[in-house]
Order: sequence, then structure tokens, then C-alpha cells
Amino acid sequence: MAAPVPPGAPRQQPPPPPNYNPNYQQNPSSLSDNLQNLNLNRPPSMPNSAPRPSPFQPPHFPSSAPSPSFSRPGPPPPGAFPRPSVPPSGSPPPALPPNVGTVRPTGPPFSQPSPFGSRPPPASLPSAGSGVVMGPSSGAPSFGSLAPRLGAHPSPIASSTTPSSVPPSVSSGGLVSNGPHAPPFHGGPRFPPSGAAPQPPLMGPPTAGAARVLPQAPSMRPLMGSSGISAQQRSPFSAAPQGAPSYSAPPQGMPSFSPPPQGMSPPAGFPFGQQTQTQPVAPPPIPGSAPPTMFGMPPPPPLPNQMTAISPVVGQTGGSLAGSSKIDPNQIPRPIPGSSVILHDTRQGNQANPPPPATSDYIARDTGNCSPRYMRCTINQVPCTVDLLTTSGMQLALLVQPLALPHPSEEPIQLVDFGESGPVRCSRCKGYINPFMKFIDQGRRFICNLCGFTDETPRDYHCNLGPDGRRRDADERPELCRGTVEFVATKEYMVRDPMPAVYFFLIDVSMNAIQTGATAAACSSINQVIADLPEGPRTMVGIATFDSTIHFYNLKRALQQPLMLIVPDIQDVYTPLQTDVIVPLSECRQHLELLLESIPTMFQNSRTAESAFGAAVKAVFLAMKSTGGKLLVFQSVLPSVGIGALSAREAEGRSNVSSGEKEAHKLLQPADKTLKEMAIEFAEYQVCVDVFITTQTYADIASISVIPKTTGGQVYYYYPFSALSDPAKLYNDLRWNVTRPQGFEAVMRVRCSQGIQVQQYYGNFCKRIPTDVDLPGIDCDKTIMVTLKHDDKLQDGSECAFQCALLYTTVYGQRRIRVTTLSLPCTNNLSNLFRMADLDTQFVCFLKQAANEIPSTPPLNVREQVTNFCINILLSYRKFCATVSSSGQLILPEALKLLPLYTLALVKSTGLRIDGRIDDRSFWITYVSSVSTPLAIPLVHPRMIALHDLDTKEGNESPIPPALPLSSEHVSDDGIYLLENGQEGLIYVGSSVDSKILHQLFGILSVDEIPTQFVLQQYENPLSKKLNDVINEIRRRRCSYLRLKLCKRGDQSGLSFFSYLIEDKVPTGGLSYVEFLVHVHRQIQMKMSS
Amino acid sequence: MSEMANTDPEGIDGVRMTWNVWPRTKVEASKCVIPLAASISVIRHHPDIPTLPYTPLRCKTCSAILNSFSRVDFTAKIWICPFCFLRNHFPPHYSLISETNLPAELYPQYTTVQYTLSDPNVNPNNPMNAAPAPSASPVFLFVLDTCMIEEEFGFVKLALKRAIGLLPDNALVGFVSFGTQARVHELGFSDMSKVYVFRGSKEISKDQIMEQLGIGVSGRRAPTGYQQKGMQNGFPNTGVARFLLPASECEYTLNSLLDELQTDQWPVAPGNRASRCTGVALSVAAGLLGACLPGTGARIIALVGGPCTEGLGTIVSKDLSDPVRSHKDLDKDAAPYFKKAVKFYDNLAKQLVSQGHVLDLFASALDQVGIAEMKVAVERTGGLVVLSESFGHSVFKDSFKHIFEDGEQSLGLCFNGMLEINCSKDIKVQGIIGPCTSMEKKGPNVADTVVGEGNTTAWKMCGLDKSTCLTVLFDLSSSERSNTPGTVNPQLYIQFLTSYQNPEGHTLLRVTTVTRRWIDSAVSSEELVQGFDQETAAVVMARITSLKMETEEGFDATRWLDRNLIRLCSKFGDYRKDDPSSFALNPCFSLFPQFMFNLRRSQFVQVFNNSPDETAYFRMLLNRENIANAAVMIQPSLISYSFNSLPQPALLDVASIAADRILLLDSYFSLVVFHGMTIAQWRNMGYQNQPEHQAFAQLLQAPQDDAQMIIRDRFPIPRMVVCDQHGSQARFLLAKLNPSATYNNAHDMAAGSDVIFTDDVSLQVFFEHLQRLAVQS
Repeated sequence: MAAPVPPGAPRQQPPPPPNYNPNYQQNPSSLSDNLQNLNLNRPPSMPNSAPRPSPFQPPHFPSSAPSPSFSRPGPPPPGAFPRPSVPPSGSPPPALPPNVGTVRPTGPPFSQPSPFGSRPPPASLPSAGSGVVMGPSSGAPSFGSLAPRLGAHPSPIASSTTPSSVPPSVSSGGLVSNGPHAPPFHGGPRFPPSGAAPQPPLMGPPTAGAARVLPQAPSMRPLMGSSGISAQQRSPFSAAPQGAPSYSAPPQGMPSFSPPPQGMSPPAGFPFGQQTQTQPVAPPPIPGSAPPTMFGMPPPPPLPNQMTAISPVVGQTGGSLAGSSKIDPNQIPRPIPGSSVILHDTRQGNQANPPPPATSDYIARDTGNCSPRYMRCTINQVPCTVDLLTTSGMQLALLVQPLALPHPSEEPIQLVDFGESGPVRCSRCKGYINPFMKFIDQGRRFICNLCGFTDETPRDYHCNLGPDGRRRDADERPELCRGTVEFVATKEYMVRDPMPAVYFFLIDVSMNAIQTGATAAACSSINQVIADLPEGPRTMVGIATFDSTIHFYNLKRALQQPLMLIVPDIQDVYTPLQTDVIVPLSECRQHLELLLESIPTMFQNSRTAESAFGAAVKAVFLAMKSTGGKLLVFQSVLPSVGIGALSAREAEGRSNVSSGEKEAHKLLQPADKTLKEMAIEFAEYQVCVDVFITTQTYADIASISVIPKTTGGQVYYYYPFSALSDPAKLYNDLRWNVTRPQGFEAVMRVRCSQGIQVQQYYGNFCKRIPTDVDLPGIDCDKTIMVTLKHDDKLQDGSECAFQCALLYTTVYGQRRIRVTTLSLPCTNNLSNLFRMADLDTQFVCFLKQAANEIPSTPPLNVREQVTNFCINILLSYRKFCATVSSSGQLILPEALKLLPLYTLALVKSTGLRIDGRIDDRSFWITYVSSVSTPLAIPLVHPRMIALHDLDTKEGNESPIPPALPLSSEHVSDDGIYLLENGQEGLIYVGSSVDSKILHQLFGILSVDEIPTQFVLQQYENPLSKKLNDVINEIRRRRCSYLRLKLCKRGDQSGLSFFSYLIEDKVPTGGLSYVEFLVHVHRQIQMKMSS
Repeated sequence: MSEMANTDPEGIDGVRMTWNVWPRTKVEASKCVIPLAASISVIRHHPDIPTLPYTPLRCKTCSAILNSFSRVDFTAKIWICPFCFLRNHFPPHYSLISETNLPAELYPQYTTVQYTLSDPNVNPNNPMNAAPAPSASPVFLFVLDTCMIEEEFGFVKLALKRAIGLLPDNALVGFVSFGTQARVHELGFSDMSKVYVFRGSKEISKDQIMEQLGIGVSGRRAPTGYQQKGMQNGFPNTGVARFLLPASECEYTLNSLLDELQTDQWPVAPGNRASRCTGVALSVAAGLLGACLPGTGARIIALVGGPCTEGLGTIVSKDLSDPVRSHKDLDKDAAPYFKKAVKFYDNLAKQLVSQGHVLDLFASALDQVGIAEMKVAVERTGGLVVLSESFGHSVFKDSFKHIFEDGEQSLGLCFNGMLEINCSKDIKVQGIIGPCTSMEKKGPNVADTVVGEGNTTAWKMCGLDKSTCLTVLFDLSSSERSNTPGTVNPQLYIQFLTSYQNPEGHTLLRVTTVTRRWIDSAVSSEELVQGFDQETAAVVMARITSLKMETEEGFDATRWLDRNLIRLCSKFGDYRKDDPSSFALNPCFSLFPQFMFNLRRSQFVQVFNNSPDETAYFRMLLNRENIANAAVMIQPSLISYSFNSLPQPALLDVASIAADRILLLDSYFSLVVFHGMTIAQWRNMGYQNQPEHQAFAQLLQAPQDDAQMIIRDRFPIPRMVVCDQHGSQARFLLAKLNPSATYNNAHDMAAGSDVIFTDDVSLQVFFEHLQRLAVQS
């Protein structure tokens, strides 16, 4: 099944151009190249990225970063979807290039292209050595004093994790990587598609890539030796991993299963030094027994940090404030940047292995369970009974991201073709064959791990069992040894031929859009992105514009020029042509370019202020109805006429808020049902709508977002739209939108073992029947939350499986079924649940549910619910698992010790802020509904770093400096800080910053000159370079082109910056972090005593 | 009969009446059988008509215009209106008037004069034009069907391009195409071709059209807006410049647009008709013109290649197994779409009339396209209509070209016509048959009974040309002798006032005043008889018959005609009761029975050989042509060419066929050149090419030349058929001939003549019966 891909397989790219770099290598660089083009008009150096004309007039975005690499490695997600533009070879999971397949196990076949030699490494060589040495410390230095400890931890981990399973060569690499070195390791890889891609030669970025690869690629070693590594250190990529706060918690899990490494001294008692607490990466095992550690005291070395206690904070119930003073703000739990890449085997010793934190940098190896990227559970052990779950206060849910972007170093997902008969399935529950189906009776029958039914093995699938009870061919068949596989769908899975990839662009050309430059930005972005659309005869495109009427364009090649067809009836729309509105890309490229260039000028003198968004979307839908496809809408004003017209209800909403109106949150609900009904119809015909809102006014996102939400699309929001700084982001967003791995006309269902059933799905989809969700579009960024409920008791010691099956059509028109299976042990032990809790997942579920509540519940109630949720969990833990400790301490389960911080952050987040703009809140809610786990955390708890001293930290292996706590104590007046949440980046400039630094970074001399619209430029000085490196690195890791904004104290921008400092006390009543802990503690005490 | 065609019986006035002497009373009039009617060629060109550059004088009470029949008191400077007998003072500028210094309108020979109305805004004769356009350029809005095969589409595009080339530079041109949907092309958009697409299946109001075209607001200017200066092309509104451009500016755009225009791209299911939204396209076109140019002369020129199957005005379902309605279906009320479609076009007609715009229809298809339904809109707006089999056929091609041609042959297309009739006291107007619309202007001269467009003394003619002819039907006041005997005026007067805008954009008013004599028919029927115009009478009867067939349920035309003919013969014939052989008719009536015979056999009465579309087409032309042409439609003319004699009229009888003759039949809609057997043989042997047989060549050529002469003057271009005796095409001739020789009596016939295979009665039999019935007591 892992056989070579059939020739026709789309995924597989055509033979790469001679010099062709495997895509993954290229990606990063190509991405950044493109960016550069965008900004700098620099010629693209990458083969695959076609040279594009500089989008905007160069002047506009002159320089924002020379190497701004879009965070996403753009195109080719390593995953299964090779994008046309990107070179293929590495990409497709379906067919693994032979060498790739082997990579994992054996060691890396990554053959490094000779070009490697050319790298600069030599210089680094020495450093490499040092790198290794430093490793341990390197993490530390950056984080301050903790260094020593850090060093210690990592190494243990490395050894522990890598043990036997990793081939020697790898392991050595692993060692390196896990340890201090880690950075290099994970550095680039994340984004660049993994795979077997040869490394692109000359590119700067590639080196980085190479570096990443290094550890794995034995072959390289000789060649490059340590130099590779050293190179990494310098390379921008290397820093990345920690970017996401990695928590110590996860590591814990690992240890528990794998024998605890040496006596690890648990960092538990760490001094909460400044910013960093480095948690030991590999924590001590010892499950059940964990005595609580208290903060105040040095933790007993042997005991791992099962829990975190905050010392005698509040004297019993009493002295709140006083108590707070007793808490050392430097010692309270904060996310600790993980400094290393974690190697994660999904199962070890035939046991599910708890995954590393979602925000950490890890490389997963699918050894039976799916990679946590695709599916993760809030608790890594399943409570046997519903009572146990209720007692814990936690919830049981899955976060499913079926097309998630894998780490470049991960083995691609294998494609399995069962031929005519289709994949083997349980005949009762229709579950798909997976590694946990148990074959019995000499392999003649198998027992379904989902429903327990015993099935006959199909004759041609029969195989004898080995002595261990497994099928002898289990290791050769991916579906029997991998948690995630992809099946080729047969006719049975199609109601029609797989649809072609259809991209329809719909652009607002009303007066406002034209005048703000939004139309020009959209046209230019589209014009560039066209080159990135999947190549091939089946790719179709269409274009329409609208103001108070809808303008279609006949792009047929036979015409000398495009023909504009206007649909003036916006109450009852229709399509003006049956054919020729949507035409194969290959036939209309020229017309398309011509058209996109002329649209902004053509409507230049338009006086039409009205915008018929709803009608336009509907009309385009009618044109797309026969095929389905992606509809990308660029909207600039509040839709004011035609079907689904909206009113400026925000104005009345504002007065309601001020008058204390209880119904204010209604503004977060759609204005009426029209758009919802339309959306359901769209979904039925497989039309997926993405909306890019480039506005300077209220646009009623609450209403508009219904369409993308229901059709598997997404809302992008540019407010206030700036023709200067936003086009670059628009372009990058659009490009990622069309190039990321994605599928069409998808249906998804999650099946669970007996005893558990799916309660509900949350996310961007349309649901017509209770069991399935329909996804006209699904891509690697979309996450669906699945809440679970017990309908029976589970057997302690047995395993409970979850299987997500996603049937979809690739952009090349193949029908596939991606099956992701996760099997977790069941437990009756409450403390196991706490130990196995997955903080990130837990919190994100919780975040999504809260977001879901906001439109229908007053914000105060939601805040209270959120706080209570946190309190209840801690209370349960306190009550049942930590009885030993004194009641004067706030005791936190180690795995969930950041829960209060995150909860506080959530309470203060945009969505729950009453004073926020309605659209901002709506957008936040919409964004949360589909956001993936790794991006959800920073959304709520952003990362803040100092920029003014970037150049003084030379030698640090990561380009991204360590994060600072989100407290104004850490913001000084002579500093410059970047705060980013994955969506936007606020650069705060203190009021007394050295003007030299200002000049170096922004080309200005005083804070007063700070422009309102900001475009990052690179100046010829190390500091500026460094800043660009940092920003590009962050963009790349977040797969998002941050919207940068300069802030200074004393105006609106400064306020918005400080509003993100969630540890601060907010004058209007928001508690500071310390106060919040006190509050939580007091609540717990009250409940305990009651 | 043909001699009539050569004279000018209409004279300077262009008026012909069924009776040139009028009976005094209603009772007497009804005894005359043939109604009192006048046919007027409203703006026929005549070299003797003077054009006066000043405004006419009107009677203060009846508003009749000073004319040569007015009595003038030169000393008192007073004129007496012949209609109401009111004494009007001449205004100061007539102070120089004297018996030797008469204004032209008082010259006795100028019974018809024409005034130039310098300021159209004060034209009191045209109240609908409250805000008449400034002297505007003509407007042509082409509405093109795109549902046709490529070949036809090529023909029609070619014709269109040629037409656009012929337009005057200042003419405004617009373009609408349609198929499944109607598309308005914005010619003024320079960046690319831009069209507004309207769904064919949805009814849209005029307001919606304006709003959706983005001309709603500005299009609804107050009337004063039209007089603003400095507006583009003299038109106030921006919509004009977007959709209607001067031909000189948009010729290139239009040509390239036509080059790229494709046939309708919407798929047609097998076994189905193309989906064609003619109705919506026309109402969109009307809405566009209404928004841009209300009140100015504009034509919608519709080129249609098939039946409307979508939306408003649908005449047949899309399913091909469902045939287009036939006369039989209409009779049996089995045409489900008919009434609705007619109603739609009726409303469209109202809208167009109120805007003063014209609908021209060019239909080319092998099957019907719905002329029967659209007739009302075309006829009421005074539009042109041409029906042919193909856009490649000369009937279409040449007719279409003809419209746009200048010079001698030009049709002289005029706009915004209005006809008013003033008449002497006892005369009432029942209505008009012909291309016009009643304006519902009530007055003392309006009759109680209505025929055609009635209930008024004023009619609107949105479009008219120099051949437009209307038939006015009169009635007499039923009150006995209202005039006291002493003041009895022996003359009656009728004044026709026609105002219109000529192709150059000038507004003209033509005043035709006619007088006829009253006669007491009880006293002397001799004079009455002398005043009978049989040709006019025949045409009027044909028009009335057609109208009744269309409007009266279950009307038996043949019987009605027969009865009237018998009554007429009974009244005016000279006979002894019950003695058929004694029957004789005054020469003034002698031709009439033969006209009736041919009318009974014509396409106007015998509709079942024709489709409803053809019938509607024939009738529209019957109603708008002058008497001479209409007479030819009823009774074709036949000319015989042979050696040894000049071309001469021949009897419309099968007996006229001879082997050594060439016949030229003119039935108005078609011209047939028919070669006798011998002639055809000679011709086939090529004698005409031999120098010694030049006479033969000339003989062959003569009918062709004559046919071309006829064709040149005619619109639409007749269909030309050249055939030989016994050839299949010969049916076009045979169908029109009196079947005096059929297979029933073939043995009687001379060799070389022909027989017609029919059971129809011959003229002779018809006469025999007529005589017998006329003399019955």
C-alpha cells in the first residue's frame, strides 16, 4: 500500500525541474522570497516561486523585511498536498519517495545535496562545538539565571526518549537535538515541509533548513560535521521552537511511561527566576504518587513536580491583599519556553504516550497512535466512568485537525490503496481498519476496537498471525501500524466525480473600497496568487466584482478582452452566463491579469457607496453551484443593499452598552437568518466561502461570519485597513489560503469505542445529520472540537479508541479518506487524570466553548463560568489529590499549573472585553471557532519580547529572544517591545528610548515621529536586521503574517498594547495575576470548608 | 383596374372616401351598406403642398385651423370657422390681409398646407409631449435575438453592421441582445465590453429597470430638466451617454461588439426550443428608452429569430413536441399562452405610446415568432414589421437596409405624430383602423359606437412614414336634421391635423381640410352612386372584415361579406325583382363584386392556410398601406408580356396563362414572374443569348425590369418568385387566379392554357349566385 504512487496521482508532482529542490526545503525560502518580492520587489530566487511582479508599487512596501518569510512555508505543506507551485517531490504523503519512507526508521536518507558544501558553515564549525557545549546553557543564558538547571534536564530527556526505538544514527542526532542543541533541530523544520527533500543549494534560508535536517541525516554528518549544527544556531530558524511557550507539563507525561531518567532533579522547586522557569523537559515519572510540591519549599528532589503549590499566600480566608503581598510575583507559574525540540513517539511499549504540549516544538513519530497534531484529547487517559470525570471538573473532548501541517522531519502520511474493494471496514460501525483492530482465529476474523463486533477478514486481506498475536504483515501495512493513514476512495465514496479545484474571487468595488485602496490591494494580491494556484487543466477560476450591482466577467479566451456582465437585480439574483464565467485557469491567464490590473482604474470614478455583499455572494454561488469550490470574497464596507443587507446596528449597540443594556451581546449574533440560510445552501453545493474584510468601519462581522463558518471557510479582518501596511498581509494571507494543504467537498465523522460517544462538534462546518459534519472546504489550519460523553462504563486497563475519518477531495481531484486513530488507556484513578491532563487542549476546548457562549450570554456570566471552571478543577484536585498539604497553600496540579494564568488571560481577552469594538469581538469569536491548539494559546496569552537589546544577545541560538511575562513591570520606558498573538504584532516604543535605537530600527529620531501606519523596513544595521529576522521567524512559525503596529504611551495605540498585559491590574476591575491567584485560592478554600 | 394605380386619385390631400357624396341621415347612411369612411395618407409627400413658416390660426372654440374653406371678411378682418361658424378676428400680424393678398392657407388650391412649428414647446397640438425634445437626433435601439444558428446569426450581424454604417452620424444608437437573458450593452463604457444582464424569466417593472441600470434617479428629472442647455447631445441625463451613443462615436465599438457577440450560450436541452426572452428584452429596451429619452423620437428595432419561450410574452412552451399555436388553436381557445402574451404586449404598447417610442419588428424564422401577439405593440406605435424566412433572404436584407437609406427611396421615418380630426357638426368619428393609438380625447364629434381606435378625436402615431395610411370611420348624428333648413350648408367639412417630427428633427403640422357635399339620398341616389369609390370601399371592407375577425368571437367573414355585397347589389343594382338575368350594375359599382370575390379568397379572410403570424403580418400591412397598394393585396394585378404587343393588363384568370406569354403577378407581398411553357423552353435553350433573338431577350427582361420598379417603391420588399409553367413555384401564381378552368371543366379549355386543381368556385359562378340573390325580393 505504501507502494509507489500511481502515475496519475496528482499529488505527485510532475518531475521536478532539473534543479529542483524538494519542496520542503524550498518552502521556507520560497516563502520568504515571495514576501520579499512583495515588499522589496526582489527577484525571486526560488525556482518554484515564479517570479512575480512586485505586487504593489514597490514604494509601498519598500522594505519590510528583506527576508520576511512568511511564516508558513508557504506552499507546500509537507503534508499530503503537494501544491503545484511547489515542487512536489517531498511532499506527498501518498506516495513516499522511497527514501523518505525509510527515513524514519533507518535514519535519514536525507541526502543532502551537494550544495550543502557551499554553506558558510566552516565558520560555524567551531561554534558548533560550542553549540553543543552550550546547549545546556544556551537555553539558560537567554533565560537568565536558570541555566544550569536547564542544561541538566534536557539531556536526560534526550536519553530517555530516544532510547531504543531510534536508530543509532538518529539517536545521536536526537541527542544533540534534544539537548541544548535542540534548537537547531527543530528550528526550521517545522514549516518547511519535511520530507525527503534535498536541500536547496544556495539559499540562505535553506541552510537553516539543512541545519534542521542535520541531526537526522547521518549522511550529512560526515560532510558537514558539526558545522551544520553551528549553522543552525545562527540561522533564523533555529530559534523558533521555544517561541511557543512550552510548558513543563507535557514532559511529565513522558516520563511517566518511560522509566524516569536519572534522578532528574525536578525543577519543581525552581526558583522562579525572572522570566524563565525552565521546567525540566523531562520530568520525573512516577505517576500516581506525587506529593505536592510547594513553592515555598525546595521540592524534594526525587519527587517530580506533580503539582505546584503557591505558598502561604493567603492566610486562610482572610487577608487577601496582605496575602498577595506575600506572593512573590516572580515565583508564580508562567509558561516556560521550551528550548528544545522534543522527539515524540506516539506509542511506546504498546502504551499511548502522552503528547508534548501543543505549543512546543516536537517531532512526532507515528507508532500506532496518530500524531497529536491531528488529534489530541483533553486528558490522555480516559476516565472509566462519567462520575470520575465529573468529579475531576475537567471535560473530555478531542481537538481534531485532520489536515494539520506536519513537522518537516516527520514521516509523511502514507497512502493506502485497497483497489476496487475500498478500505477494510467494520461491517457494523463502519470504522476503518486501524492498528488496534484485533485479528483472531489465525487472522481469519478481526474484532473492531470501536464497536467490539467480530468481522470476517476479507479473503484477499488475510494474513497469518505471528507469535505475538499480531499479523505478520502488520509492520508492512501502514493501516496496521500507523495512527494516521490515507485511503484511496473508491466510487462508493463519491456521489459524483470529484470536483475540480474552483477558485472564485469576488471583489468589492464600491466607492469606499476603491478609495481606501482595498480594491487595488485585493486585485494585486489575487494577481500574484494566481501563479500559486494548483496547476492543471482542472483548476478553474472566476472573477466578479460588486458594488450595488454584481459584475461578472466572461474570461473566455475567444474574446479579445474580458466581457463585463452586470447582474443588476440584487433582490433576486441569478448568474449571467451558464458557462464562461468560470473557466480553466490555463485558458484565461492573460485575460485574468489584464482584468485584475484594470479593475481598480475601471471603477476609479465610481460613486456607488452601496455594497450588495449578500446578493453578490449568492449570485456567484449560483455560478459555482454545479461544481462547488472556493469563493474568496473581499469586502470593504457594511453590506447595505440587496439580499442579506445589514444595518449599522453597532451604533445603537454602543448606546446600549453605555446605558448598561443587557442585550448588548446580541450584536454578536447574526442580524437575521438570511445569511445563515444562504450558507447552508452553499454548503450543500460544496461552496466554501472565505471573507477578507478590509474595512475602516463597522462591517458586522457577526452577521457576515456566518457564511464562512458554515461553509468551512474563514474570516480575515484588516481593521482599520491601511493601503500602506496591509496589502502585504493581505497577499500573504491569500497566498497561504490557496496554497496550504486543503481539501474540498469533505465529510468528517469521529467514532469512539463503546462506552463513549460524540456529544457535539464545534468548528467551521455545516451539519445536516447528527453524526457527520460537512466541510465544503477543509484545510490544515482548521480545527474541529469534538466533545465526548460517556454512555457506559469503561474497563479499567482497557483502551478506548477514537477514530476520525475525513473523506475529501484533493485539489487535484482525487478522493481520499484520511483516517486518524487514537487509542488511550482507561483509568479509574483520579490523580491519573490530573497527571495526564493536557493543559493546552483542555484550555483550548474551554476557550472555544466560551467563545461559543459569548454571543448568547452576557459577558459577565461568561467570565464567571470561565473562572468557575478553573476553580472547580483546582478544587477537585485540592480535595481529592492533595489532601496532604496545608490548606494555606494554593496547590496546583503540575500539568495544569498554568490554568489560572490562562483563565485570567481569557477573562481579559478581546472576546470578553465589554469595551471592545463589536467587530473586534465578533472576529475574535469567529477566529477562535476554528483556531488550532498551537495558535489558540498565544491568542489569549500573547508573547512579549524585548527588541531594544536584540543585538546585545548575540550568540543566542534562537533568533527570538525569550518571552517576558505580560506585566508592565517588565516594560520599561527606555525599551522597545514586541507583543504578538499570532494575528497582530504590537511594537511598543517606550517614551525615553535612545534615539539611536529608534533610528536604527525605524529610521526616526524621536518617539513623536512614530507613524500611525507602519511598514517594517530593514536598515543597514545589525539591530534592524535582527528585528527583521525575529519578525520573520515569528511569522513563519505562526503561519501568519503579523499585522504590525507601532504603539507609544499616551495614545490609543499605547492603551491597546497595555490591554494585552494580562498580569496587570486593570483599573476597571480586572484583577492582576497575583490577585487572581488569591481570588482562586479563596474560592477554593471557601468551597472546601463549606 | 390597373389604370387606377397609375393615376393619383388621392390628390394633394391624400384622402379617399368610400362615398364622396354623403347621405344626410344616419338611416340613409346605413342603407348605403358600405360605411362612410375616409382613408388618409397622413404625411404623403406631394410637391404642391406649401410649407408655411408660421404658426396656424385656430378657431377660438373648436380649435380648427384657418383654411381655404373659411369665409373671410376682409374689411372686418374676420374669418368664419366652417366647422362651428364662429367669427374669429384675425390677429394683428394678419392685418395686411386682403382679397389680393392672401396667406397661403387661404388659397383655394391649398386644401393641404404644412406649418413649421418653430417652437415645439408651444405646440398645442401635442399635449402628450408636454416636454417635447429639442430638435433631437433620431434614436435607434437595436434588440437582437441571439438564439439562432450560426449562419443566421452571421447574416443578421452583417445586416446590422451595414445598417449602423448607414445611420446619420448624430443618430443615437443603443444595443440590447437577448437569449435566455436580456443584455443591455453599455456602449459608453470604454474600459471593456460591459453588459447589464436581466433574467429572462422575471417580470420587471419600468422603475426596476431604471434603478437597476443605474439611471433611476437622474432619469426621473422634472420636465424642466429637458430644456437645460449644454447637455450632452441635448439630452439631460447621464444614462443616455452610457447606453445610447451617437453613431459616429460608437460605430467601432458596436462593430467589434458584434464581431465578438456569440449566439446564446445557455444550453438547450435536446428536444427543446432555445430559451428566448423576447418579451423581457423588449420591456427592458422600452424601460431604457423611457428612462433616457421620454418624449423623443426613438425606435426599438427588434430582430427576432424565433418564438419567445421564456418569461413575459411567451407564446409557446420550450418543448418542441408542443407546436406553436395555429388559427385552429386560437379558435378553439387551445392556445394557452396567447392571451397572456397579448396582454403583455398591450401593456408594452401603452408604455411605448406614452413615451412616444416605436417598436419595429423584423422576424425571420421558418416557424412563427409571435407576430400575432406582438402585433398590438407594433401597430399601436406605428412600427414597421417585416416577416421573412431567413435573415439571409432579400425580403429581410433589403427591407432592413431600406429603412436606413436616405434619398428618394427613403421611407421618411417620422416620430411623435398626432392626428386630430375636426368635422362638421353632424359627423361623428367612430374610430380609426391603422397604425395609431387613441388618445381618448372626447368631444362632440365622437361617436357612440367604436370601431378600431376610437372614443377620441385625437390619435397618437409614435412612428409614421410617408406611406402611412389610416382609415377613419364616420357615423352621422342620429338626431334628425339639427340644422334648420334655412341655414343648411350643402357642404360638409373635415379637417385632419397631423403634427409630427420629421427625420431632421423639425416639428411640422399638416392641415388637410376636405369638403364633400351632403345629399339627400332619398331624393337622388344617382349622385350618391356617382360618388362611390369602389376601390376604397373594397379596401375599407377588407379592413373592417379583418378587424372583426380579430375582435369578434365566431365572426363569419365570408357570410358577412356576402350579405353586404348582396345588400349593396340589391340597393344599387338595376334589375327586375326575381329576374337574375335582368341584373345590371352601374359602372361605379361594377368592379366591386370582383373585389369581394377576391377578398373572400384572400389571405385576409381565408386564414387557415396561413399561420397566425402571417395573418397578423398581412393585416398590419393591409391597414397601413394606401388604397392602391391595399387593393393590390386584395386583388393582385396581372400583366402579360408577349411578342407583338406591349405589356398589358391581363385578367386575373387562369385563362390568361399561355405558353408563349410571360406573366407578372403583383400580389403586393410577392411578385411572380411566370414563364409560359414555350418561353421557358426557349429560355432554357439559350435563345436569348443569340444576337438574332434579341427581341426574345428583351421580352424576358421586361417583366424583370418592371418587377424591380415595383420592388423599389415598396416596403417591405416583396418576395420575388420566378417560375415556369408547370413548375412547383407556379403555385404562387395559380393560387391567385380565378379558377375558371379546373379539372372539372378542363376539356373545354384551349390547348396551351392551364387548369387549376381546386374546388373553389370561379368568378363566374360567384356572379351567377350574386345576381340570383340580389334580385330576390
